[in-house]
Amino acid sequence: MHAVPKPECEEALDRLFEYIDHELPEDEIHRIGEHLKECPPCEAEHKINEKIKRLVNKTGHDVAPEDLRARILTTIRATRPDGAS
Amino acid sequence: MTDTAEFDFESQALSYMDQLYAAALRMTRNGADAEDLVQETFAKAFAAQDKFTPGTNLKAWLYRIQTNAFINTYRKKQREPKRSDADSVEDWQLAAAAEHTSSGLASAEDAALDSLGDDEVKRALSELSEDFRMAVYLSDVEGFAYKEIAEIMDTPVGTVMSRLHRGRKLLREKLRDYAAERGLYERTPVKKDKDGGACRA
Repeated sequence: MHAVPKPECEEALDRLFEYIDHELPEDEIHRIGEHLKECPPCEAEHKINEKIKRLVNKTGHDVAPEDLRARILTTIRATRPDGAS
Repeated sequence: MTDTAEFDFESQALSYMDQLYAAALRMTRNGADAEDLVQETFAKAFAAQDKFTPGTNLKAWLYRIQTNAFINTYRKKQREPKRSDADSVEDWQLAAAAEHTSSGLASAEDAALDSLGDDEVKRALSELSEDFRMAVYLSDVEGFAYKEIAEIMDTPVGTVMSRLHRGRKLLREKLRDYAAERGLYERTPVKKDKDGGACRA
């Protein structure tokens, strides 16, 4: 146990969101992945943040109301250059 | 040839309507405004369709138009004070180290998250300020890459990262609060120096 996280912990925690979002180059993904396997506190952070990302993902799938679809079709037909007005 | 291109544009653009509407709901937080915003987005997109280069990212292009339309038309109406963009990179990097919590606390939080419903997650997201909310939404729901979010929000990639860090941190705090309110999670006072940073070698 030590009060200050190790440099590997700092890298993993600094880059955690980029890791979760698949924004890192291969070598860094590998290095952080290895660290997460052997560091339970960092892995716990990883799991929580990944879970929140999944929870947010689940909320996003609203469907446009039917009448909006109709309104939009009317709008774009009216602005079409081939003149379906 | 032009006819085919136009036809493709129309059907492809329309295939993103539900997604644009879902994003508009998050932007405006209001069904009627969301519908108006999507309608405006499509009107603008069709008027500007010759500026779109086929083969490039149509979805991101439409989101960009919608984001601009939102900023120009609806934000003024909503009276949400514009946050200053002073979010510096160093800030969240320094903060990251403090998140190394004890594993008992972390597993309690992890378990509490499973009991939260969609409504609570939606509520937490809706309480974030607009820039944070949109960055998190575009990444987590739409799966846009940082570079695409930067284009959509017309901001540098570093700012996108900063918004994601701060937005997600706030979101997590709100979810913790909701879980605590329902007795799913016990908030303990943070003692950073003693409890924080316990990393087993």
